[in-house]
Amino acid sequence: MSRDERQVSPWGGLDKYLPLSETTYYIMLMLVTPLHGYGVMQQVEEMTDGAVTIGPGTLYGAFSTLEKEGLIEMVRQEDRRKFYALTTKGEAVLRRQIERVALMMRSAGQILESERE
Amino acid sequence: MDETKRAFKWFWAWNDEREERWLTEMAEQGWHLQAPGTFGFYTFERGAPRNVTYRLDFKTAGKDMEAYLQLFADAGWEHVGAMGGWQYFRKEAPAGEAPEIYTDQASKIYKYQRLLLFLTIFLPIYFVMLINLGNAPYAFTKVLSLFFALFMLFYAYAMVRILRRMLELKK
Repeated sequence: MSRDERQVSPWGGLDKYLPLSETTYYIMLMLVTPLHGYGVMQQVEEMTDGAVTIGPGTLYGAFSTLEKEGLIEMVRQEDRRKFYALTTKGEAVLRRQIERVALMMRSAGQILESERE
Repeated sequence: MDETKRAFKWFWAWNDEREERWLTEMAEQGWHLQAPGTFGFYTFERGAPRNVTYRLDFKTAGKDMEAYLQLFADAGWEHVGAMGGWQYFRKEAPAGEAPEIYTDQASKIYKYQRLLLFLTIFLPIYFVMLINLGNAPYAFTKVLSLFFALFMLFYAYAMVRILRRMLELKK
């Protein structure tokens, strides 16, 4: 999504969801492709080499909240496992968060570089 | 070996972590929870001592219960039973390790928030009952309403304790 597209997007109030907590950020990141709860838990742990782990209580609560907020939606059910994915709005929120983190990283870079000089 | 025993323990909703520790200690002595009973009457089964972590979650029965239990089962948590909205889970863990079902502060607080909301829903019902009892013209109901008023005081106390627990976690 380009900068211009986002400015005219109907999701003007995206900033109210930010900043995402570490847990919410990782859950949303994994839901770029549809996945069930345990799949999210496994992939987050794998991707972060165990630095970030999400318990089932936390995950279940996060799924309910994100679904209520319209950031994720259930796409299908296999047996008793529900698969969720980001909604368009959820994807916009995630991208906005990533931009903010990138800005934070750039700022940190500038300060720490100038200190070294 | 199918020796069982029953044990009674007061269950305080704001101190569910003490409950978890107690069940873990029982398992270390070879007593494994078979079923959580009403009003704190627990049934234990005799077995080999094991390192088991117990965790309690609060979730009232709903249509999503199956998916909820499936998620916990996938993550390796055995559902032992339920008591008044409290879900009892356990998982074997190497000594010294204590796996968690809630892995951040925000979701831990949210658990108590749900419990508090659940208790709040019943508050107006109890209140109406108390007023009706108090207004009835029989001595019997007067005594009953006194007991009921005491119960409501305790109920309010429990809610304050849960609220305090939430504020502690927010620090």
